[in-house]
Amino acid sequence: MAANTGQGRNFAVFLVGLTVACVGVASFSSGMGKLLLLVGAVILIASLVGFLKLRPLEGKPAQRLSSTGAKLAGAFVAAFGWVLTLFGMHLVDSVSGRMIFALIGIAVSLFGIVYILPSAFNKNAIWKA
Amino acid sequence: MLVHNEIQNDYGADRMKAIRLCCLCLCILALSLTMSSMAHAQAAAPAAAPAAPPPLSAADAELKDAAGKAPSTADLQKGDPGGTITGTINDVPPADSKVGVTLPDTANQVGQNKIAINFVWTLVTGFLVMFMQAGFAMVESGLCRVKNANHTYMMNFLVYGCGLLAYWLIGFAIQMGGAAGNGNLGGLQPLTPEHSMTVFGKAWGIFGGAGMFLSGHSYDVGVMVIFLFEMVFMDTALTIVTGACAERWKFITFSISSVLMGAFTYPLFGNWAWGAGWLSQLGTNVGLGKGYCDFAGSGVVHAVGGITALAVTLIIGPRIGKFNRDGSPNAIIGHDISAVLIGCFILAFGWFGFNPGSTLGASANGNLRIGSIAVNTMLAGCTGTFGAILYMWGFKGKPDASMSGNGLLAGLVAITAPSGFVSTVGAAIIGLVAGVLVCLSVAFIENVMKVDDPVGAISVHGTCGLWGVLSVGLLADGTSNYGGSWNGVNGSVTGLFYGDVSQLAAQLVGISTLLGFVFTFSFLLNLVLEVIVGQRVSAETEIAGLDIPEMGQLGYPEFVFREESDLFTRAPRDFAVA
Repeated sequence: MAANTGQGRNFAVFLVGLTVACVGVASFSSGMGKLLLLVGAVILIASLVGFLKLRPLEGKPAQRLSSTGAKLAGAFVAAFGWVLTLFGMHLVDSVSGRMIFALIGIAVSLFGIVYILPSAFNKNAIWKA
Repeated sequence: MLVHNEIQNDYGADRMKAIRLCCLCLCILALSLTMSSMAHAQAAAPAAAPAAPPPLSAADAELKDAAGKAPSTADLQKGDPGGTITGTINDVPPADSKVGVTLPDTANQVGQNKIAINFVWTLVTGFLVMFMQAGFAMVESGLCRVKNANHTYMMNFLVYGCGLLAYWLIGFAIQMGGAAGNGNLGGLQPLTPEHSMTVFGKAWGIFGGAGMFLSGHSYDVGVMVIFLFEMVFMDTALTIVTGACAERWKFITFSISSVLMGAFTYPLFGNWAWGAGWLSQLGTNVGLGKGYCDFAGSGVVHAVGGITALAVTLIIGPRIGKFNRDGSPNAIIGHDISAVLIGCFILAFGWFGFNPGSTLGASANGNLRIGSIAVNTMLAGCTGTFGAILYMWGFKGKPDASMSGNGLLAGLVAITAPSGFVSTVGAAIIGLVAGVLVCLSVAFIENVMKVDDPVGAISVHGTCGLWGVLSVGLLADGTSNYGGSWNGVNGSVTGLFYGDVSQLAAQLVGISTLLGFVFTFSFLLNLVLEVIVGQRVSAETEIAGLDIPEMGQLGYPEFVFREESDLFTRAPRDFAVA
């Protein structure tokens, strides 16, 4: 089962939920705003639950399960590089020092993106089957 | 008779009473008229001796003189084939028609003309950028197989609506809802203030808040113009992802992912760079050049799109048949190279909106640099094409058409950030480097990372977008002057090769943010969607082609499909399809 009516309806619910939640955020200072935000969030969650129920009805994609931990580790390393850059800006005052921290941060992020994550995803890749 | 006399006496008495009453009324009337005329005479006394009209200033006298010499209605009725008498002082609306056009009227008209020129410029260039969607649709679909053409076109079609809706709901408020003034568009005061966070004693902008639904204070003509322009930029970033994930992305997941990217991912980084956020404050807060500088969006638009594409492509995995068991890649040829190259030309045309339009005006504040920006854009596209063609021809043996197109786009992507700050020589170098870089990047992503990107979007927009951001810190020549300052720091943006090393540091912080924050944010967001909705179509759908299962009709229903190689129709063992 590919695209179907359930998906279409749930997507409509998702958009309605997002719109209502945004109206709530826009008028958050009022009591009605808080209520609308809550209602929007509930509608959004309902749409996501709907999607979750539809998922088993679809065929199996050409993917194999791989370690979620390794994927999250890759994402963590990528984010850590950025954090390093940010703190480097405050740890040193010189332009060259900040530049070095930024370069180290970029290298760390690239290590996560270019090495750790592809390794995690390719460990059980379908083309190896 | 007596009766008659009595009646007559009564009648006489009544008549006398009436006469007395009339006399009384006449006296009162005369008295009031006399008093009224006296009062009027007192009030009118000064008017009786009218003051001399204020003397005309020399400027007003000249204006009156010009009004006198302006062509008459009779002259205009004869027609103006030479265009020499159309548009005169008579077209300036006076505040008081009895007084005529004065100097303040003229000054107000000049001010409004400046804003009008900038409005029209920004809107028209925004329309050009909007048309780039057509170019993206043609490039991406042309590089996909015919069995997925409808699906790829539809992704490019719907991404416009998804992005626009999300941006109107909340994205614009997050990105520009703290942007404060912009003299080119009349101030934009309704867009303020920015939500900030104080870290290490400095306030750093994090996100805006004004402008949700474009209602309330943001119901303003200037805000509408900036919304339209920023919206089409945002949509360009969104449509980059559809190319990298083509031929296997579930339509429903694409739709949700695009809404979320238009609502949160893009606007957050957009705020930090363009909406008074912390990256733009690197100059004022810690003295790094003029802060992070990205003139038209190599980073904000293209790198955000390319990096998000990489995040989703990692999750979604390669197409069936892309890689062999030993990891070597197979070329999966697109179905329509003519669509690809025409699409590239449409994109190059739209780029004249992208870069020159980013001045947000053509009048005042150094905006005449649009001429230089447009030429830089052309040149970088040209040298990018040469870079890719010569690389492919020299090292692979043929001037590959799809890589030539990608070379053009790579040069354009790379010049987007520095287009307003570099010379033509700088632009040519930036484009040439990008043209070669895109070829190397495509090979690296495919051969080393084993990531399947059918259209090369990650390389074109991600890699070359980052190169564009970096090149500002290297090649900005310090001659631009957009109102005397950039990001609140006086002076012109100047790169390392022209004497300012600190600008390079600011650009590196921007690159680190793109890689560390934008990638991680996009990755986690789409990982959640993978768990809840699922990113990839079933193996059966993928082999059949996404047009029928996902869209319900073929892109080219009257085409006879050639038998595909067994390689691309054979599902891996675990996912055998009947």
